[in-house]
Amino acid sequence: MKRYIYLILFILTSISAFAQTRITGTVKTSTGKTIPGVNITLVNTYDGASTDTTGKFSFSTTETGSHLLHYATVGFKPDSVTVNLDGKPLTLTLTIKEAISELNAVTITAGTIETGDAKKGSVLSSIDIATTAGAVADIVAALQTLPGTSQAFSENGLFVRGGSAAETRTYFDGMLVKNPFGSQLPDLSSRSRFSPFLFKGTTFSSGGYSAQYGQALSSALLLESKDLAEKTSTEFSILTVGFGAAHTERFENSSLTIGGVYYNLHPDYSVFKQNVNWDKAPIEKTGNIQYKWKPSKTSILKVFSQYSNNDVSLFADNPDTAATIHVIDHNKSSYTNVTYQDYLNADWRIQAGASYSNTRESGKLDSNAFRKNDNLLQGRFTLTRYVGQRSLIRAGAEAYKNGALEGWNNQSRSFNDNLQAAFTEAEIFFCDDVVARIGGRTEHSSYLADWNLAPRTSLAVKTGTHSQVSMAYGIFYQNPDDTYLLQSHQLGYERATHYLLNYQYLTNGLTFRAEVFYKKYADLTKYDYDGFPKTYAVNNFSNLFNGGDGYAKGIDIFWRDKQSIPGGDYYISYSYLDTKRDFRNYPIQATPPFAAKHTLNVVYKQYIPAIKSELSTAYAFSSGRTYYNPNNPDFLSDKTKAYNNLSMNLSYLTRLFKQFAVVYASVNNIPGFNNIYGYNYSPDGSNRQPVYPAAKRNYLFGLLVTIGDNTFNH
Amino acid sequence: MKPLKLCIALLIITFSVKAQSDKYITAMQKGMALIDSASTPEQFTTAANFFERVAAAEPKQWLPQYYAGFCNLHVAILGKQSNDTKDALYDKAMSYAEKADALKPANSEILVLEGYITFMKMSVFSQQRAMTMIPKANALLDKASAIDPENPRAYLVKGQDTFYTPEAFGGGKANAKGLLATAADKYKNQKVAGFEPAWGAHRCQVLLQQCN
Repeated sequence: MKRYIYLILFILTSISAFAQTRITGTVKTSTGKTIPGVNITLVNTYDGASTDTTGKFSFSTTETGSHLLHYATVGFKPDSVTVNLDGKPLTLTLTIKEAISELNAVTITAGTIETGDAKKGSVLSSIDIATTAGAVADIVAALQTLPGTSQAFSENGLFVRGGSAAETRTYFDGMLVKNPFGSQLPDLSSRSRFSPFLFKGTTFSSGGYSAQYGQALSSALLLESKDLAEKTSTEFSILTVGFGAAHTERFENSSLTIGGVYYNLHPDYSVFKQNVNWDKAPIEKTGNIQYKWKPSKTSILKVFSQYSNNDVSLFADNPDTAATIHVIDHNKSSYTNVTYQDYLNADWRIQAGASYSNTRESGKLDSNAFRKNDNLLQGRFTLTRYVGQRSLIRAGAEAYKNGALEGWNNQSRSFNDNLQAAFTEAEIFFCDDVVARIGGRTEHSSYLADWNLAPRTSLAVKTGTHSQVSMAYGIFYQNPDDTYLLQSHQLGYERATHYLLNYQYLTNGLTFRAEVFYKKYADLTKYDYDGFPKTYAVNNFSNLFNGGDGYAKGIDIFWRDKQSIPGGDYYISYSYLDTKRDFRNYPIQATPPFAAKHTLNVVYKQYIPAIKSELSTAYAFSSGRTYYNPNNPDFLSDKTKAYNNLSMNLSYLTRLFKQFAVVYASVNNIPGFNNIYGYNYSPDGSNRQPVYPAAKRNYLFGLLVTIGDNTFNH
Repeated sequence: MKPLKLCIALLIITFSVKAQSDKYITAMQKGMALIDSASTPEQFTTAANFFERVAAAEPKQWLPQYYAGFCNLHVAILGKQSNDTKDALYDKAMSYAEKADALKPANSEILVLEGYITFMKMSVFSQQRAMTMIPKANALLDKASAIDPENPRAYLVKGQDTFYTPEAFGGGKANAKGLLATAADKYKNQKVAGFEPAWGAHRCQVLLQQCN
């Protein structure tokens, strides 16, 4: 009997296989638009169909019973319905929703400008940074073409929205960099220490940034280093100022790069006229090592270590005596950074890092010897938990060991600070169009013997397919500058409060951003000092206290168009800044010399196929800056004339000995504008010296050859 | 009684397995026919959708994954979609290529496909992506050639990339010609097994003629 059961069962199964159900239907959006090319699948079977140009589909299946019918196409959210297959024809009307793409997704943009290669919303790519005319591959100089920044004239650093240079901090893979610049020389700014080619992305935040970053009153510059090098290759560069070489070895899961540069500005300075009376033109020797290891698909270890040795000497103007000061400066700095990150699974991510930096500056001002040492040891750990599609919660802790020493002839003073910080924040998507970031940060400094608590919050709301509005509020604390901490044990945190409102319109070819901001300062460091202290020297201040305050308000506009000119690309950034502050030895609130009311930058890049070259042109304008005139009873009420600069840079792409090569020529201040950065007065006001740029016009020529990387040749 | 029962049971199992594999072979034949007759992005969408369904139903087979990737790649190459959509299509193509790679690691054909997709994705925003993605594409193609030096598609895709790269960046017809000629030679000797990739010979000839 049983054998018949199998037989009957078998026959039944076979028969049912021939009972077909015909399924037809249409796929539309909620607004009734039909969508072609949608893949309709009866889950776990081969059966299904694609919608035709009118959004219709039809197919037959031999399956029976309850099944899931899945439908999906690119640009839309996949969806499914349950169907019951019993041989009766089915007619379905399916609705499909548009998916949020990376470009269209709501993101927090208040205060933040991203640059990089991977992200579509990026404002500048790393190659843009390297080729911006006038920037000569200096990251910070390139960022000065973005809104919210003032042109740095004679002082090192990035000046953001009325903030001093010390208020912008640089983070390398999340780790604070204490000294991103070379030595401050009399009335001369120096380049940033890191090559733009080290990084795959840069986030420039001009306010309202995440609770992950502390110890910065005005701005955070986040540099994200490249991942594994793709190929083994060797690079050589020869410039009018020196030469460099780097070799990269690619292994199965890791890559190692060793490189170095030697720059000597003497030949260049002897050909092109300098406004500076150099004794020995700057000589720089830098070596670095990068190691990247990718033990698994989700994790990466990055190690970066750089050592740099700089020597310079010059005769600086001394309005006090009408003679000059002989300045000799040696700067040795080392920086090492180790970071590791891993996605433990779809929900958890860990990031850990440690860094150590050490800078030793020594030299002479005439017969007086000075030295400045500083060091920073940092550890950091962050844990991120992803919730749902895009929301997340992040928490982390940091510890800093910061120390500095300042010496003048036989005397010296030093301080050490242990700072611990903890932060947490949540990014919550309330729906596809609204995201909020709420968090806070707390710090304890042993030297200041005090705690702080900084709330940070931002909100972004999508207002259209390509547009969104976002806002941010936050409190930011920073320890007073090392110079002040060396001289006083009585100081506390300086504080800034940011309010930002931002509008952004973004498509693949166009970017428009407008941001209004208000920043309020409190507890800025004040002291007594006669005259205007010199930024490069060892100054003695008395009566240091946190009595300063101030404000900055304004609007930043950015427009970039990559689509209207074939092979061309331009952007315009404009900043309006109204700021006054009472800090240092100011008798009243005044506009500091580093803040310009109007700043305009126009950058235009064009690829010219006929000469195989890319031409980059940059124009910068900055309205007059204030300067200190002891003869004027109104403090800082004199202004220099406006600053103008037009730079060009031509990159000719070619091949040399079958290897990819770039010939590079860069000229700044082509029209020869007579720019004046400010004036140095003698204490009695009887004598003044204008501060000029180091040279009226700068030229740089170079050749870069890449061997072995057949990126551009086969 | 017992042996008989077992025998029948085995027979049914064998029959259904056989039916299942027949079904797979029939489906692959149908899919290959769809690719062979496809020349428009719409036709490639139909083929892509077909292979995606087979790939979903046959999670252990690498070929449906491979062809789902291959067809999606061609939907984007041939179509006139927005850059965003092209990007999403290349991402989708890559995710299928990666699934194929997970099922059949270190396969020359899959690496060629990944190299091809990477280069095309680069071309969507070439200014921002060339620096990082051209080396990546080349590394994949070099690896493909290292695993199987006789794979003509590794040379074809490289030749094609070179063909469409501006001369200033080391591309151009003159540089492409050698690679395409090597590819053409290797196409003459290529041995095709089952449904394994065999595409490109005609494309290679078309490009080679344009080089002259």
